[in-house]
Amino acid sequence: MDAHQRIVCKWCGGQNDNPTQCAFCGAPLDVQNLVSESGWREAPRLRDMAEFRFDHSTCQVEGEIVPVVETNLAPNEWVYFEHHCMLWKADTVPLTVMNLQGPKRSFFRMPHIVTIASGPGRIAFSRDATGEIVVLPLHPGMEVDAREHAFLLASGRVSYSYVRVKGLANILHGGSGMWLDRFVTSQAPGLLVLHGYGNVFERRLAPGETIQVEPGSMLYKDASVTLEAEAIKLSSGFFGGTSMYLARLTGPGRVGIQSMYHHHESGE
Amino acid sequence: MAGGPRAYVCPYCRTGIAGDGRTCPSCGAPLDARLKQTPSGWTELPGARDMARIQCGRSSVQIEGTTVPVAAFHLAQGDSVYFPHHELLWKEPAVAVTQRGMKGAWKRIMAGLPIHMLDAVGPGRIAFSRDAAGETLAIRLEPGVSIDVREHIFMVASHAVAYEWLPTGVWFTTRNGDETETHYPIGMLMDRFTAPAEPGLLLIHGHGNAFVRQLAPGEPLLVKPSGLLYKDSTVTMHMHVERPRASSSIWTWGERYLWLALRGPGRVAIQSGYGHTHDPGGAITGGVTEHRW
Repeated sequence: MDAHQRIVCKWCGGQNDNPTQCAFCGAPLDVQNLVSESGWREAPRLRDMAEFRFDHSTCQVEGEIVPVVETNLAPNEWVYFEHHCMLWKADTVPLTVMNLQGPKRSFFRMPHIVTIASGPGRIAFSRDATGEIVVLPLHPGMEVDAREHAFLLASGRVSYSYVRVKGLANILHGGSGMWLDRFVTSQAPGLLVLHGYGNVFERRLAPGETIQVEPGSMLYKDASVTLEAEAIKLSSGFFGGTSMYLARLTGPGRVGIQSMYHHHESGE
Repeated sequence: MAGGPRAYVCPYCRTGIAGDGRTCPSCGAPLDARLKQTPSGWTELPGARDMARIQCGRSSVQIEGTTVPVAAFHLAQGDSVYFPHHELLWKEPAVAVTQRGMKGAWKRIMAGLPIHMLDAVGPGRIAFSRDAAGETLAIRLEPGVSIDVREHIFMVASHAVAYEWLPTGVWFTTRNGDETETHYPIGMLMDRFTAPAEPGLLLIHGHGNAFVRQLAPGEPLLVKPSGLLYKDSTVTMHMHVERPRASSSIWTWGERYLWLALRGPGRVAIQSGYGHTHDPGGAITGGVTEHRW
């Protein structure tokens, strides 16, 4: 290989000197991408102990069944996370709470405490379920929506808000609930780490292209992708017949789904 | 594949294939895997290799992922599959989904079985997954062959596979005071799949890992009831209770083991990720054979 040639990670677009592993998302670079005939690409299967960096800090993914994300925070750098995802931390790492509209979030069963951990020091996160870690380095000017309770941590340069999925049908029937976490980068890049139940697949929708998914399987999407609940009429009858509800996603942009769909509202 | 050389017989689905690919086109099993057989006679069923492609008539299915695998069908024009409604993961908008008429819906409700069975008709793509870690197992059914699958295991089947359900016949009763209660450790009903005229494809989901063995005529086997995945329809079953020798008559239910007794001939498959088999307690008054050590 040419000493000056850089390898572009097909997952995050990062340019790498190391031919085996992306320095920005941990994706293996020496294995073939797994893309199904229908166009879904498997999220890169991070090798146990894969390490990557963001800003001056580092991240390491440990384990494969219920993976742990361990961060080594540099001084003056910080990450934020849902408080119940913290697995362990060094006692020198201070914790503070992000100012959110707590009661409003609690009312809609969103965690009302988003916690901030500041460096220097180590802190580790995991979600209490079998699945995959999805590392999404965010370039400047990106907006990504994640389903509620899917985000594990985000770096301090990523601004955080939440959006309501419009439409009454979504409130009543959409398994993804009323709210999505929205992560936005402005001038600087950032890091977003999600946890997907089971296996995670990503697909890029062309403008106007649509796909119908089980609402509980939607994991993340670019903000440019629209999401709306749609009733599928299965039968007609005296009491209105039987319907099922799917989430219709319309491009352009990326869509990520998880194979072990999860309904927080129903507890299934 | 039809008419081509058949130099390799898949040890898992027993289909003769050319053997020039990486996976069996009938069941998705890897071709280069060594047969994993335990000294006790169990053969580990291989989860389909990631991105394995299985041909089913003019349609095909691809198994994607390894932890909670997805089965993505590419249905040809006019081909169809059917599935319990909650197995659907995604579909193209063009794929039509309709409800399949189910006789005896009330009995299925009472037995806790899904009552909404859906048909999806091609052309187009549609994908399924089960909301649990495990393996997706592809079972090719030859004409005239039937297998019985425990409830809530079935994922999706091709249109060539006929579906019916039947009582398990596995139960026992307990008495508590004046009340007698009937228990069904593997459910009241189980699914039976048959390929009447042409080969069909059946996909099931096993929790954890799956193992299969062939029982000789009359050969008995005891398995944990919730561990059963499927069996040939020729295999009979009933409940069996064992009590350790040290059991005191005072502790009538504290030291007993509830088994599903199977008897050949035929195949039996089990899963390693079984749920807990609840022992309701109380004196067992019927429906079981018993052995006291």
